[in-house]
Amino acid sequence: MHATTDADTGARRKRARRTALIAAAFAVAVFVISIVQMLKV
Amino acid sequence: MAHAATHDHDHHGAPKGFFQRWVMSTNHKDIGTLYLIFSLTMFFIGGAFAMVIRAELFKPGMQLVQPYFFNEMTTMHALVMIFGAIMPSFVGLANWMIPLMVGAPDMALPRMNNLSFWIMPFAFILLLSTLFMPGGGPAGGWTMYPPLSLQGESVAYVIFAVHLMGISSIMGAINIIATILNMRAPGMDLLKMPVFVWSWLITAFLLIAVMPVLAGAVTMLLTDKYFHTNFFNAAGGGDPVLFQHIFWFFGHPEVYIMILPAFGIISEIIPTFARKPIFGYRAMVFAIASIAFLSFIVWAHHMFAVGLPMGAEIFFMYATMLIAVPTGVKVFNWVSTMWGGSMTFETPMLFSIAFVILFTIGGFSGLMLALAPADFQYHDTYFVVAHFHYVLVTGAAFSIMAAAYYWLPKWSGNMYSETWGKIHFWSSVISVNVLFFPQHFLGLAGMPRRIPDYNVAFANFNMISSIGGFWFGASQLIFLGVVIHCVYFSKKKAADRSWEGAKGLEWTVPSPAPFHTFDVPPVIHDDELAHGNTEH
Repeated sequence: MHATTDADTGARRKRARRTALIAAAFAVAVFVISIVQMLKV
Repeated sequence: MAHAATHDHDHHGAPKGFFQRWVMSTNHKDIGTLYLIFSLTMFFIGGAFAMVIRAELFKPGMQLVQPYFFNEMTTMHALVMIFGAIMPSFVGLANWMIPLMVGAPDMALPRMNNLSFWIMPFAFILLLSTLFMPGGGPAGGWTMYPPLSLQGESVAYVIFAVHLMGISSIMGAINIIATILNMRAPGMDLLKMPVFVWSWLITAFLLIAVMPVLAGAVTMLLTDKYFHTNFFNAAGGGDPVLFQHIFWFFGHPEVYIMILPAFGIISEIIPTFARKPIFGYRAMVFAIASIAFLSFIVWAHHMFAVGLPMGAEIFFMYATMLIAVPTGVKVFNWVSTMWGGSMTFETPMLFSIAFVILFTIGGFSGLMLALAPADFQYHDTYFVVAHFHYVLVTGAAFSIMAAAYYWLPKWSGNMYSETWGKIHFWSSVISVNVLFFPQHFLGLAGMPRRIPDYNVAFANFNMISSIGGFWFGASQLIFLGVVIHCVYFSKKKAADRSWEGAKGLEWTVPSPAPFHTFDVPPVIHDDELAHGNTEH
């Protein structure tokens, strides 16, 4: 049995937001790098 | 298991007003429904464009449309089908099913989920509106190669539409990653997740890795067109082939974005109707991951004819052929799952079996195209058109139809008409082969793609292909009828576990699935999961 509390759910949502921020930062970095790399060509 | 799924969902149901319920929705099921309706609408719009193409190609000579309009149709058909029909339908299925499959109350970021969806209609209104602009819409192909794609004045609108689609896809992917990694019910370990969830986790990583590359590429097109940069302008010291490299660095993983979730769907349906656990669960997961990795190192097989160095041609040829190994593992495991199973042939299973056979035909013609020396003959011919339609129609689109039939009872609470489902299947599977199989012969005989007129030598196969096209298009109206009948008129109620052999958390909640599920995480019992006992 797993007793899950509101606090657990809140903590999971907080972790999810952090994951989303990391993923978003990665996507923005790929976008910027894809253009900056071409500036060197 | 999942006893907590239903006890508390009635205290706050769906919002009452249409605007609150659908426009302001943060509910994963409603947003999933919106995605599915949107993608079905786009499927018919893109299909209408395909009908124009096949009508013009019915016989040699110019019949119905002007050449520029024909080129607009080929371009728009691809953009609408790829970005408007296939991708959003997979996102819709992910929205509906991933929280139910992992025991989460909703997606991790519900408001961003709403925004991801509502960007899409605006992106496509913008894209489709270019057809009515002076000078017309994009006509340079969905690959948008410069300098051809930079002709005309609708470029900025098309690029803005592509940016919006990309933003929507990236936000959707981020949400899926955050949900799967953080919102699983306790006990739902990563290697107990359904293969569909795994396929989407890997697809979502592909999306955030390559959609920004497409955004970068079209941004550079935009600056070349309007701000006098010379990224791809040979006269200014740029390189048009550079665009092709960037585009296909996005474009090849994009192909897998459109097929990996299909692998996941088929891996759910075949075990259900074979009444056996999937053969080689871990191998299936690792095969998907391998295919995703390899998709990053094969892009130049789309460009063999541009004049690559010999070493590059050989590398990309062998890397591409390597993909046949994990793909072969998957096909072997689907067949092995069916082997010795107590199989029944309901409509989702029929579409899944057709997927395995016809997608494999598309895979084999892909292997032929991977051969660099042979590709010089096949390149830009109807052989390529036949290849990718076997992958994307009998592959991706068939898997979506299989998924719709499979989960429709869970979504609507009603069973669809099995008779009409099977009529839809047989009509589709015969017509799709009448439509696309002759295109292999046309390509091998040298008929180029993206042309509105052709040599009379190609007349017979084109006529057969067009008849198949009209037949396949009409068959999809049956699908629409089956779905509408099921949702609004069907008298046959669906059981919670709608299919005898179905396993997994989604089948433990009532049919139709309540507005809120798993507000309290379910208690997981391994033997009830589709892949619960991973030790066997």
